[in-house]
Amino acid sequence: MHDGSGRIVVQNLTKQFGPVAAVQNLSFTVEPGSVTGFLGPNGAGKTTTLRMLLGLVTPTAGIGLINGRPFSQLGNPARVVGAVLEAQGFHPKRTARNHLRVYAAAIGVPDSRADQVLGLVGLGAAGDRKAGGYSLGMKQRLALATALLGDPQILVLDEPANGLDPEGIAWLRTFLQSYARSGRTVLISSHLLAEVEQTVDQVVIISRGQTMYYGPLDHLRNQQQGRVLVQPSDTGALVAALREDGVAGIEQLPDGRLAVSGVDAKQVADTALKAGVSIYGIQEEKADLERLFFQLTNGQYAAPGQYAQPVAYQQPGYQTPPQGYQQQGYQQPPAGYQQQPPPGYEQYQQPPPGYQTPPQGYPGAPQPPQDNPYGPQHGQGGLGGGA
Amino acid sequence: MGNLIKSEFRKTTTTGLWWGLMIPTVLLAFGWALGTGAIFKSVSDFMGSSEAEELATLLNVDPSQWQMSVFGIARSINVATIFPMIFGGLAIANEINRKTITTTFLTAPNRVSALAAKMVVYILWGAIFGIAIVASVSIGIALTSNSGSLPDAGGWLALAGVGVLSSILMTMFGVGVGALMTSVIGTTVVLLLYMLIVENGLQLVLASQGLPEIIGFLPNGAVNGLTGSVASSLFLANAGVVPEDMVEGLRAIAGALGAFDWWLSGLIFLAWTALFFLGGWAATQRKDIT
Repeated sequence: MHDGSGRIVVQNLTKQFGPVAAVQNLSFTVEPGSVTGFLGPNGAGKTTTLRMLLGLVTPTAGIGLINGRPFSQLGNPARVVGAVLEAQGFHPKRTARNHLRVYAAAIGVPDSRADQVLGLVGLGAAGDRKAGGYSLGMKQRLALATALLGDPQILVLDEPANGLDPEGIAWLRTFLQSYARSGRTVLISSHLLAEVEQTVDQVVIISRGQTMYYGPLDHLRNQQQGRVLVQPSDTGALVAALREDGVAGIEQLPDGRLAVSGVDAKQVADTALKAGVSIYGIQEEKADLERLFFQLTNGQYAAPGQYAQPVAYQQPGYQTPPQGYQQQGYQQPPAGYQQQPPPGYEQYQQPPPGYQTPPQGYPGAPQPPQDNPYGPQHGQGGLGGGA
Repeated sequence: MGNLIKSEFRKTTTTGLWWGLMIPTVLLAFGWALGTGAIFKSVSDFMGSSEAEELATLLNVDPSQWQMSVFGIARSINVATIFPMIFGGLAIANEINRKTITTTFLTAPNRVSALAAKMVVYILWGAIFGIAIVASVSIGIALTSNSGSLPDAGGWLALAGVGVLSSILMTMFGVGVGALMTSVIGTTVVLLLYMLIVENGLQLVLASQGLPEIIGFLPNGAVNGLTGSVASSLFLANAGVVPEDMVEGLRAIAGALGAFDWWLSGLIFLAWTALFFLGGWAATQRKDIT
């Protein structure tokens, strides 16, 4: 039987749909007691990953474990994990209450549980209506009610905010947070970071079927140093003065301004004054999470190789990535942070428990070089890095 | 397993499909029974009339003992089992189409048990449809036939038994085809087209080419043989001496031309059912639910 830990472990999951690599060697861990956001643009492989985890899709390689077991070995799985995968999984002619009773019977919970969960998601008054007449938001609530039938330890939700009104989203946020506070596990996918930013504590960010980042959201937040955009009378003089003060993060913007990171506006202004440079305009820019997310998930459109780190590492058994991936991988830090690994990436050096043993089929996966800040335990290093 | 069976049964009773198909099943079974009862009544009335008496004497048969109604019963059952077959065909196709299969698999320990529960429930539904068909047919036949041409209690029980059995098998056959096709419309069209038109065409060709024995191996021929063979055996057992040449014709009337004995026909159709059912099961077992 399962270990009751409430932990989700995804190890080297890969799925090929014909010629399409939907998910490539994806690994991450979700710990109980927190809400984990599973983020990536549409088509990044989120849904396929969740469906592999839930035993609905057979992986081409790798394994997804819930409580230390594959889904098919959980016994009565709905007691362990509840899933909201799509708002359309209802027979349109079946009432919401009957829908819940069908699955209450399968799980082996009393019929009264159907009414309980209806009340829990705010559909108590609509239970006798047919699901076909429900709005998208109501279907989402009904899907959540279905997932809650077995009072599971783990909740997996695929884009649950779709179709919910702002009130519904706020309600869902509170609900999921309190669910996680009670020591349970919540994994929620979204293609919008802003949508879940206030809900999640941890994030897994994927793009094109590969892990770009996983770790606490706070680490992502902390790494976004602001930039100061300044329009000096003498660009060269200001750059020299700033360098003298030990400021390294200086960038020339196309519009002629300088972008200075790592310092605040006051410090830039003081330096300019000392250097005798006039300032025609100055402005502090706070890079937001959304931009970072965008950069993490859209890196392939930036100039290849520009930010890539040398990675002298090839994971055995790793498949050749498709053309076009050769020159970039997750190694690419967001623009403006070049050569400085964002603090969040330290997560890659500390595989969470449960990663200790590489699965069969990946024998002897070498430990990554200690001096590589991007420590590609998760196979990302196999992308070549474009050094 | 009990939980899953309960769940699957609730699935079938919480939508209108079962009675939506039960109504035409009963009407068709009843209507065919009335009609065939009337036709065979007029045949036996003719055979009993003075003009045919000579012929009967010549053939050394006693038409008043002919249980012509058994052919009507067999034919009506065959036609009406189309509906339980459609009901079965929609079992898995509908779930895939409505995407409820996702939750079904998420709430079952594994796919084998989910599908096994479905199988049990659809066997039960096949029996329910079969009983409804046999009852409707019996009433219809009794209304329009001469009491002399009705089978005795033992004969009726035998016909009722194979009627329910063929309804169960037709349902399972439908479940298998539906699981393989996974499309509601595709399943319905293919099942109806094949059972009503394609195979009847094949049977005509085979019969005209002098190969009627192959018909008994085809799905529809086999399932018709199940009821038709029992009907013709019942008829022959009570009809006295029947010329060899007429036996073939009688089997054709019963819808069992080229069919084997009822148990062999049943086994042949069971093999067809198992082929499609296990194929559909295997396909669903391995299917990626996306």
